[in-house]
This record gives sequence, structure tokens and C-alpha cells, in this order.
Amino acid sequence: MTITLWHFLAVATVLFGLGWVGFLTRRNLITMFLCAEMMLQGVAINFVAFAFYHGNLQGQAFVLFLLAVAACEAGIALALFVSLYRRQRSLDSSDWQHLREPGIPVAVDEEPLPAAPDERFPTLPPAGVRPASALGPEEVARV
Amino acid sequence: MLFALSPTQETTGYVAVATLLAIAGVFLLLPRPRGRFVPGGIALLIAAAAVFGTWLYRTFGQPMPDVIGSALFWLFSAGAVVFGTVLVTQRNPARGALAFAFVILSTCGLFLLLAATFLMAATIIIYAGAIVVTFLFVLMLSPSHAPTDENDRSREPLAGALAGFAFVGLVLLALFQTSLTNQRDHLLAQLVTPLEREKLAAAIAQLDAAEKALAGDTSTAVAREQRLAAFDAAFSPVRNALAEVVGVSSAEQIHSPQEGSLPQRLGRLGTVSGGPEKLFRADVAARQTLTQAATVRELLHRVPPTVEAIISMPAAGQPVDVATAQAEVRKLRDAVVLLHGAGLMPARNVANLGYGLYAEHLLAIELAGVLLLVATIGAVAISHRKREPLPTPDAKNAPAGVEGVQ
Repeated sequence: MTITLWHFLAVATVLFGLGWVGFLTRRNLITMFLCAEMMLQGVAINFVAFAFYHGNLQGQAFVLFLLAVAACEAGIALALFVSLYRRQRSLDSSDWQHLREPGIPVAVDEEPLPAAPDERFPTLPPAGVRPASALGPEEVARV
Repeated sequence: MLFALSPTQETTGYVAVATLLAIAGVFLLLPRPRGRFVPGGIALLIAAAAVFGTWLYRTFGQPMPDVIGSALFWLFSAGAVVFGTVLVTQRNPARGALAFAFVILSTCGLFLLLAATFLMAATIIIYAGAIVVTFLFVLMLSPSHAPTDENDRSREPLAGALAGFAFVGLVLLALFQTSLTNQRDHLLAQLVTPLEREKLAAAIAQLDAAEKALAGDTSTAVAREQRLAAFDAAFSPVRNALAEVVGVSSAEQIHSPQEGSLPQRLGRLGTVSGGPEKLFRADVAARQTLTQAATVRELLHRVPPTVEAIISMPAAGQPVDVATAQAEVRKLRDAVVLLHGAGLMPARNVANLGYGLYAEHLLAIELAGVLLLVATIGAVAISHRKREPLPTPDAKNAPAGVEGVQ
């Protein structure tokens, strides 16, 4: 088949939709930011495809402005992440849900998170000191 | 067949099934403390891709002329979609950023297929920086490997997937329907159809052969007759092929709406109805193509008699001027080459884009520059840490002193 305008528009739609799903559902601010950038990529493909099929460069010029706006957005978004992280020590966007509209219920996470694997590092006793309680007598004997 | 389905119904069925499978797959893959089932989600997504691919193949599958272009398109678009899915469903934001890098690379491949070389380079440069910075942020702000709220929970996974993929399915359906009704529409009327392009490419090769046939011994009348016969043998298929493409004369009768030479088709687009077709007539590319077709037509009428005159009747005492005859043929060849490339993007993408930006969009460029400056200042202002005032040597006395003044 010859690749037509519709094929490029379809890919752009799927990219835009995936970014949309990610932006709506993910809670990590950085992932949400990347998903928004992916939506912008879908729009950029639309512009370039239309420019190609019209045989002019207007669409490509528009994508350059889109890149400029995306760069601004990235700068502001990362600066916001830094200042938000300073206040809550977390990148979770739900930590800021007290900014929601009045009349909307609080979203509560009901299921507990899976327990983190216990990775305690061994603590070494100071040299020359007999460890008091870390090892039982039989273990000392085994060593 | 049990059910006789119209193409639209069939498409609706395929797209609906693919959409439902994609919703279920992404729902299963989105991070949750409980109920996340990665193998099932991947299997459902592959099934969705398979259903969509089946529909694509059944609808557009045959014939497949441009194999390399098609393969590259499918490679890049599949890369973009697959890594986009990974970005959306990946728990670890660092891996998500890596997947986003591949999305960008695939998009740049699509840009390259669309003849946007400068945009490809610019996007790679800009997003490489963006992704590196994002990586730094992930490393800086994600403290531990323990499960966290932001990485291991999703906000309304089912509703979110439903909203996004319902949108995608509806837009794809609308795209398909417009592609059915608008196949001859102004936007997509290819200036030179693939069939015509093939004919033109063959004509270019034959013109090269005809030019070569002119070279050789031209000292005797018999030899000159032989040269002309060889030239005619090479040229006559070109004449027929080009006449089919550019027409014999500029004023021809239109026989049927589907076929006809290039000037007829483009001319008809402008005359059949008003509205968007008028816009097409105003399009620079279409007018240029018509001009190039007219040049080819004129040269096609002029070149054979000229060549014949030069070869068969040399001026007295002069050797036959083969070079001039060959130059005539080459003129026609160059015109055909131009027509062959008509409607494709200009090769000097960077120069033309720069010219367009600074000649037509100068104010917008300035505004974009101001926007970038404001964004920089805003980013600094937002992330600026307000310092506590440094304790002065007489810090203990200062509040009392201030109160005393008041």
C-alpha cells in the first residue's frame, strides 16, 4: 500500500491518545510531564504530515514554534517540580489534591502498598570491641 | 459468508475490538498495588495490535508498490506506539524517560519520511537535552527503590484508559470515513500519481538512452541515418509515455472524471466545484506542476524536429553538431526530472524553512523568543529558594532595638 496522509494521522492519534491516558492516570509528576510531551509529538506529526501533503512548509514552521513552547513548558514544569518537592518531599501529584474544586470527594488510596523488601545493611562493630548482643554465644562459638 | 458487512461496518467492528483489547491491556498494565497482571496486559495489547494490523492489511493491503518506504513507516510507527505504551505503563520513571527517548527517535524517523530533515535534527537535539535533564530530576528526586504512591498507584486506571482509547478509536474511525469520501479531495489529490511517476522515471532512463544513441560516427549520410534511426527507436516510447502524462495539447476534451492527463486532472479539480478546490487552485505547488507539464509538452514537440534537423542537415563544410542535439535532449530530460519530483517537498529543506520563518513569520519568531525569555525568568523565580536572613552579630539585641524604635 502507499503510505498516505491518513496513516501518519493515525499514528499521531495513537500517540496523542497514549499520552492522554498516561497524563490522566499516572501520578508521578515527571511521568505526567513526559506523557504531555508525547501528546505534543503526536500534534507535531500531524502538522508535518499536512505540510508534506500540501507541498509547503507552513506546517513545519508551526512545529518549530511548537518546539519553542514545549521548551518553555519543560523549563516551567521542572522548576515547579523542584519547588513542589521541597514542600512535600514527594513527586506524587495526589499530595496536592487539597487544591481541588469544592464539592469533590478526597481520593483515598485503599489498598496498601506492597511491603518493601527488607534490605538492612549489616552494621560492623568497632574494631577491638567484643560485640555484646549481636551474636549469641553459640554463634560466637561457630565463628 | 454468514454476515454481509459493508466496509464501514467491518471497520467499526475491527476498530471496536482493537480498542476494547487495548483498554483492557493498558488497564492491566497500569501500576496498582493489587490486580496488575503484566503478561496478560502484554498479551491483550499484542492481540489489539494484531486485530488492527489485520484490518489494515485487509483494507489497504494490496497492492504494495513502495516496499522500503512502507517498511520504514511501519517500523517507526510501531516503535513510537510500543515505546509510548511502555512510557505510560512503566513503574520506574527512569525507564519511562528511556522509553520516551525511543518515542522521540521514532517520531524523528517519521519526520524524515515526511521530508522534514531540519525538524528531525532539531527535535533530536532539543529532546536529547530535555531527556537528560529529566533523567537528572528522576535521579535527584526519586529517593529509594521502595514502592511509592506516585510510582505504584494509578489514578482511575480503568476510566483513564477508557477515555483515552475511546477518543483514539473514534478519531481513527472518523479518519477512515473521511479517507473513503475524500480520496479525490483537494488535499490529497496527488499532483503526480504513482503511476505517472513510474512512467516519468522510465521516460528519464529512455531519454538518457536516446542521448547516448546520438553519439557516434556521423561523417557519412548513411551513418547519420543510422544515428537518427537509433534515436527514433529510443525516443518513440518516450513520446507516447509523456503524451499520456502531460497531454498532447493544452486544449483537450475531458472524457471521464477518473482519468486523463495531468493538466486535465489538475484543471478539473479547479473547475468541478467551488469551495476547497479553489484553495487548491491557488496552491503554488499545483500551479508550478502545471507550468512544468506545459514545459515538458512544449519540449516534446520541439526536440525531435530540432535533433533531426541538426543531424541530417549539417552546415556545409562543418562537422555535425552532436553536442547541441544532445543538449536539446538533455533539456527535455531535465524538464521531465523536474516534473517527476513535482509536489514532493523541496530538497533544500533547511534553507526554505529558514527563509519562510524569517520572511513570513518574523513577528512570531520574536514573540517565541520573548516567550522563552519569560519562561526562563519564570523558572528561576519559581524555583528560587528564599533564604533565611543571616544572623547578624547582634542578633539577640536586634528585636529589642526594633521594638524600642517603635
